[in-house]
Amino acid sequence: MSSTRAEVLLWAQRVIARRAGAAHAILDLKPDASVEDAQDAFHKIARIAHPDLHRNGLTPDELDAVTSAYGIAAGAYQTFRGQAMSTQRMKPLKAEDLAAAAAAGRAAPSGPTSSTPPSGVPVSAGANQQMSSRALVYYRKAEIALRRGDLKGAILQLKMAIATDPSSAFLRTALAEVETELRKGP
Amino acid sequence: MAIALGIDLGTTNSCAAVATPTGVEFILGQRAERVHPSVVAFPSSGGVVVGADAKRYRLTEPQHVIHSAKRFIGQNIRAPLVQLALTGIRYKVVEGPNQQPIVVVRDRRMTMPEISSHVLLHLKRNAERQLGASVTDAVITVPANFTDAQRTATKEAGRLAGLTVMRLINEPTAAALAYGFGRNQDQLICVFDFGGGTFDVSILRIKGEVFEVLASDGDFFLGGDDLDRALAEVLAAECNRVLGFDPRQHPVLMMKLMMGAEAIKCHLSDNDAAEGEIDGIDLPNGSTGSLPFALTRAQFEDLINGYVNRTIEVTKQVLAQARLSPKDISDVLCVGGSTRIPAVRNRLADVFRKQPNIGINPDEVVAQGAAIQAGSLSGSIIAGTGMGARDAVVTEAHSPLLHGGARAQGPLARPVLLDVNPSTLSIQTAGGYAEHLLDKNSPIPIERTRVFTTARDNQTRVEIDCCRGESRRYAENEPLGTLVLENLEAKRRGDLKIEVCFRVDADGILHVSAADPDSGARQEAALQVIGAPTQEGAAQ
Repeated sequence: MSSTRAEVLLWAQRVIARRAGAAHAILDLKPDASVEDAQDAFHKIARIAHPDLHRNGLTPDELDAVTSAYGIAAGAYQTFRGQAMSTQRMKPLKAEDLAAAAAAGRAAPSGPTSSTPPSGVPVSAGANQQMSSRALVYYRKAEIALRRGDLKGAILQLKMAIATDPSSAFLRTALAEVETELRKGP
Repeated sequence: MAIALGIDLGTTNSCAAVATPTGVEFILGQRAERVHPSVVAFPSSGGVVVGADAKRYRLTEPQHVIHSAKRFIGQNIRAPLVQLALTGIRYKVVEGPNQQPIVVVRDRRMTMPEISSHVLLHLKRNAERQLGASVTDAVITVPANFTDAQRTATKEAGRLAGLTVMRLINEPTAAALAYGFGRNQDQLICVFDFGGGTFDVSILRIKGEVFEVLASDGDFFLGGDDLDRALAEVLAAECNRVLGFDPRQHPVLMMKLMMGAEAIKCHLSDNDAAEGEIDGIDLPNGSTGSLPFALTRAQFEDLINGYVNRTIEVTKQVLAQARLSPKDISDVLCVGGSTRIPAVRNRLADVFRKQPNIGINPDEVVAQGAAIQAGSLSGSIIAGTGMGARDAVVTEAHSPLLHGGARAQGPLARPVLLDVNPSTLSIQTAGGYAEHLLDKNSPIPIERTRVFTTARDNQTRVEIDCCRGESRRYAENEPLGTLVLENLEAKRRGDLKIEVCFRVDADGILHVSAADPDSGARQEAALQVIGAPTQEGAAQ
């Protein structure tokens, strides 16, 4: 609350100058900052620079600049929140399925099934918001193939899914990951 | 000193309050009532009657009594859900310019903002009489899932009532403000707002003076009205069986059954059974009959189960959007009259494994939050040099809600509301895709700029189609309007840069601008959204 008008205006100028830059730079954070760091940084900005706090202390032009800078900072914060959301959605494929697939692949390279069923069947929460329902059918088949350790089968299903819904970035990322995993191979 | 009013403009009832040095003061009607029906009557005797007095014309001349205007404000009359809602009303609505609904009473044509402005004016006049000073500014609350057009129309209603609308805030956020202001704690809460016409649920993080909405969703066409209608249909069938006559063709009779249904619903919130009869039913043969009824709470709960299920489903979805589980939530706030229904509270308790907070008045808490925000925004608080005056308003404002002795000490910081954008906003790109510019649940105010390019060689004109909705396909979303950028330099495709900036202001209203940074041909426009009020419409 001790921030002066001049400090707020200076901050606004700095943010506007960096508007095309990376989200972490806009929030004065390091590149590896977490979503929690971003939340703390944004709350700090809100307590000092929220346009509501400056309704009467600034000229219209100055208020416009502060409002714009605040909006840019909000956009940067949302980038962090959105990333946290998509890594969360990726989790089932990334962490558990790939590990299970790799383990199954190594344990029984030619066998159709692994001896132990994968524990904690991953439910890809959020996947259905990332693609059309037709694509989701293929995506689920890809998940099943992954659980069997059948990387090539999973790639085929993911390609089918992408053919159905070419706009899904989620599917493309998933495909890239499985392809990388296949290249690493046993 | 300008007085700023906090107004909860509801579908069935409205409530207004003002933050004063001694606490939040509610605006009372002629009979000292705090809750004012959002009903506007144009009786045959002439004039305009608003509020509790307007309600009594419902039985004598239902076609001249305008209620539930909030369901139609800022709506496209051709939308299927709007058409459905129109079947439930007894006054006449026609299509006006820009596909907006127009009320027709005798030979008068009025826009929905005009109808709502009568309710706002009624509250303003009552406030001025009570406070002995003129009221010029207001903070008005809207459902969290209100669209751009609905928000613009609500602001227009305020303007027509002679009010400067300082801010529109979301109803669940206002409730959270009234609940959490001055507590100075770090907690996660869920606001379950089930009102007369709309349903919203928001998850907030309250951290000191910062109120951050993490996720919010709802159903605009779901409220207590729907429960009344479901029950009235049962009564109508019963009427057909017992009295051998179908009342569904008779507006006055159906209105009577709706009122009966509302009374039975309220009775069943406190009692296990309702038994009695609805008198004064005019039969076709000229005589007057009465309809006996007997209903248990369990039967009523069966009847409304589908609606309650829907609210619980949305609540679970919002929790998932906020990436939280029910056990993370420390308090569940019940807002809106429909949360008085025990079945609703029990289902909430099942989900969260704790009893919802019923220590707040579900009808008044939203207006209270709006009053706190109005007090905080109004110039008088900032302009005062002494901290005393400023703190008096805000510290005392929350007092009715503080449980126990948790009264804040020392000066309180002004609350900072971090509300969210209710739906994803996108533009159409080549191939019919929707490129998301602003995500659902982004903090507002927010500004995002993205650079696009042309799809054809020597293209000198681009059309930027904007839409709202979650689908990746443009056609599956709701179109908002089109912005045209002309006289562009002829270049090969992909060489031209077009900067598109989406800005959502603190009221939740979208502003779109597009520019060609090389030639500097900046073209900017606030979208004229389909269904929003237009000047021609207001002139009618």
